[in-house]
Amino acid sequence: MPVNEAGEGPSTTAASETDKHAGLGHANAITRLQQEAMAFRRRTLRNITTDFTVAAKQLQPGELVKDEFFTLFEAVGALEIMDPKMDSGYIPPGDTLDPDFDPSVGLEAGEVIWIMDQLLCLEITWLEGHPLSQTVYTSLHINRLLSPDQRHSDSFHINPGPPPLRTNQDTLVHTVLRAYCIGMIKSSQLALHLIQSQTYFEEEDFVTHLFGRELLPKIDSSAAADSLLEAICWLETCGIAGGLCPALLQRCKFCLDLLRTLAGDAQRWQDMLLDLDQIKDSHHLGSPIPDAFSEKVQRQLATSTPPRPTIQISLDAAHSKWTKLCQEMLSAYELTDSDAIDNSHCLERAVWAFAYRTQPETLARAQMQDLLFSNHAVRGQMPHYDLMLTDLKSLVLAGDPLSNPEIFQIELPTDPRHACSALLREFMEKAIEEFMALYRMVYQNRCRIRRLFTQSIGIWDELQREADAIDDGLRQYPLSSQVLNSGYARTNGPLLSWARYHTSQVLVWTVQLGFETEIYLPDELSKMYWYLSALCTYRNLVIESMLRALLERKRRVRGGSRDAADCVASQQLLMSLLDASKVTESLAAALWKFYYLLGQTGIIKSPKREFAKPDLLHEARMKSYLNVPAGFVTIDLPPADGYESAVEALEQHQTGSHSMKTTTFQAIDEDLKAAKSSLAALKKYTPEQGGYVGTEAEWKKEIKQIETTCVAVAVGLSTLKRLGEKYGDGQRLGLQGLVECALERKYHVWWVIPQLKEKAAK
Amino acid sequence: MSNPAPTTQSPDQSIAYLDSLLNKTLHLHTSDGRVFVGQMKCTDNELNIILSMTYEYRRSVAGGGVVGSTTLENLAGNAVGEGGAMKKRFVGLVVVPGRFVERIDVEE
Repeated sequence: MPVNEAGEGPSTTAASETDKHAGLGHANAITRLQQEAMAFRRRTLRNITTDFTVAAKQLQPGELVKDEFFTLFEAVGALEIMDPKMDSGYIPPGDTLDPDFDPSVGLEAGEVIWIMDQLLCLEITWLEGHPLSQTVYTSLHINRLLSPDQRHSDSFHINPGPPPLRTNQDTLVHTVLRAYCIGMIKSSQLALHLIQSQTYFEEEDFVTHLFGRELLPKIDSSAAADSLLEAICWLETCGIAGGLCPALLQRCKFCLDLLRTLAGDAQRWQDMLLDLDQIKDSHHLGSPIPDAFSEKVQRQLATSTPPRPTIQISLDAAHSKWTKLCQEMLSAYELTDSDAIDNSHCLERAVWAFAYRTQPETLARAQMQDLLFSNHAVRGQMPHYDLMLTDLKSLVLAGDPLSNPEIFQIELPTDPRHACSALLREFMEKAIEEFMALYRMVYQNRCRIRRLFTQSIGIWDELQREADAIDDGLRQYPLSSQVLNSGYARTNGPLLSWARYHTSQVLVWTVQLGFETEIYLPDELSKMYWYLSALCTYRNLVIESMLRALLERKRRVRGGSRDAADCVASQQLLMSLLDASKVTESLAAALWKFYYLLGQTGIIKSPKREFAKPDLLHEARMKSYLNVPAGFVTIDLPPADGYESAVEALEQHQTGSHSMKTTTFQAIDEDLKAAKSSLAALKKYTPEQGGYVGTEAEWKKEIKQIETTCVAVAVGLSTLKRLGEKYGDGQRLGLQGLVECALERKYHVWWVIPQLKEKAAK
Repeated sequence: MSNPAPTTQSPDQSIAYLDSLLNKTLHLHTSDGRVFVGQMKCTDNELNIILSMTYEYRRSVAGGGVVGSTTLENLAGNAVGEGGAMKKRFVGLVVVPGRFVERIDVEE
């Protein structure tokens, strides 16, 4: 059977081949296939029912005969045939294999509307991450189009040569609903392709499984659009009354807009928002026909999962989900649409602003990745290497001849600029992937963002070494030595500083994302806020050294030159980055002391851990950070186990005997004061200075959120003071059992604030 | 098959016989008319059989054909055989409980 098919394929291509060897190869392949087919035919079946049964009966109860490579662990995953909960092919007594519904039968307009709306609900639940088998595939119309029996047809009829369409009901199904179904299937295929071409996590974000079906490979998206246009044409003249016609038109138009947008022929997310509102308003015109959908479809899908129920959502829910998706798609374009994409910092803010809407749909995250990464250029305009060069320039190379892109054009080997540009290029080639990953990672789901950043700590550490070696190389050339040696100490070259800057940022993000994803227990908050604060102190040192080097370079460039302007811009940016880091440092410092007090007073208790030892707990929590080598490169990085000495230092500062922890209260007040003054400084930067062009609203919002957080901490602190005065015995504060402590993230997802309340007296 | 299986085997011979079937392709006919074709991985004294890389075959026309008439040709091609078309789908790793097994064929 396969011989003929296989024989035809290669022979036609062989005819166009000039290479005779290819022809020979095909001949061999044909022979081999023939032999295989013969061997296949030679196989016979032998009935061994009796032998098998008799032999099996001789086994002891519980005794197994099994393949030695087959483990019982695997066996647990086997689906039990004939078990209604496990076997997707099980048919209960009295039931039939196929649903009792014929998709080729004509339907009333109201019924078609209802089916279309149901498909709209199912499509968005699929896009949200549910498998096709529980969503779109349950439509019996879709099922008919995709059925393997319909390989040679794209019609709802089983037999070729369908009867002519006699009534409106027939046309509504075979022209209108069919076009809508095909449009949905092709849109699904395009969405699937977009997601699969980007980074995503199977099952966590999205299920790509097609269950052995194909999404109409023979129909392309333009043919699908033509079918929809044909349907629209017919609807415009069909004369179906009662508002049903406009309702059908809206649905077809939405489907067409979706299809064209995903196919890249148009950008209709805005129009689709309007379509969606109209669809919602006319949903009541639909007359339910639940028989057009059935979970029985799962009996014929290739699947190794048990039968699962259809995911049912209301049209209102679907409307808000689709609306959210359209808005996210629009936002993906808007955020990358300004000149800001030329600036690595503005782009970074845009990326985070996008990700920090309520978690965007997988499709929107894939779209955003596509916009940033297609053809190795942001929006196809800003090549990734250029983006990295602007990043280097704005952070460590302003005013340096190295930052001039023209040096990459110099081909004369004796020109030192040629050698320097070669070194810089070498470094960029090594670092570009990890640099771009800073943008890509943010498009993953929340838990993955944290884990991916954590995994990248080691890579950034390695990049620091590479950077240091190349800095050494650069120092050998007079071109850079004038500038480099002036601004940077010998162990503190520009590329190393750049790598340190990004490492420190990644470290800070991993801890902050840990607060957001609630991986720290209440009694660990003090330590983790201490670590965050310490990391920011390190980051401040890195930025300050970059600033010092910049000021050196700035003194040497000619006033009024482009270099001078670059230096000013870089200085503003570095200062804003420093202020932002100081805000985090101070607020984290206030919080770690606050949580320390809450632990001391018994308000936050450590859970009983029978087998835990402090060093094991420490290792488990700080694992990602303990492996960062404390070599010369990362010499300033705070030791991950410095918390105890910080606590010791805090306690030593305590003076006076009559007031409990007064000095700690004072220290927290001072931290809050510092945070507020850094916030005030941060507010003064313009979007250009602070690198937040395009995300001005988000910048303002975040500052506001952190201000509120500071106030909330101050309120919590005064509550603690008051309660301490009320119940304190002077020496030691014991508030265990007297105070309720709720941990809130309501002002900012990265800041966990204790909300204290006195328990009502019993 | 090298191990003939007379009905008076000792337990050791039985185990050797069943061992010889491991990883062979079995066709298990179940009481609901389906056929499961996969490689045998494990069995026990209740005739529960675990198959891996399994395909499920089912007649698409209800009641059509006799169970025993399943031939390799119409299984392989998903084609219309003498007993009617067989619908085929991949189901992966399955355990077929012994009480539903009506017939066992081995491919040779």
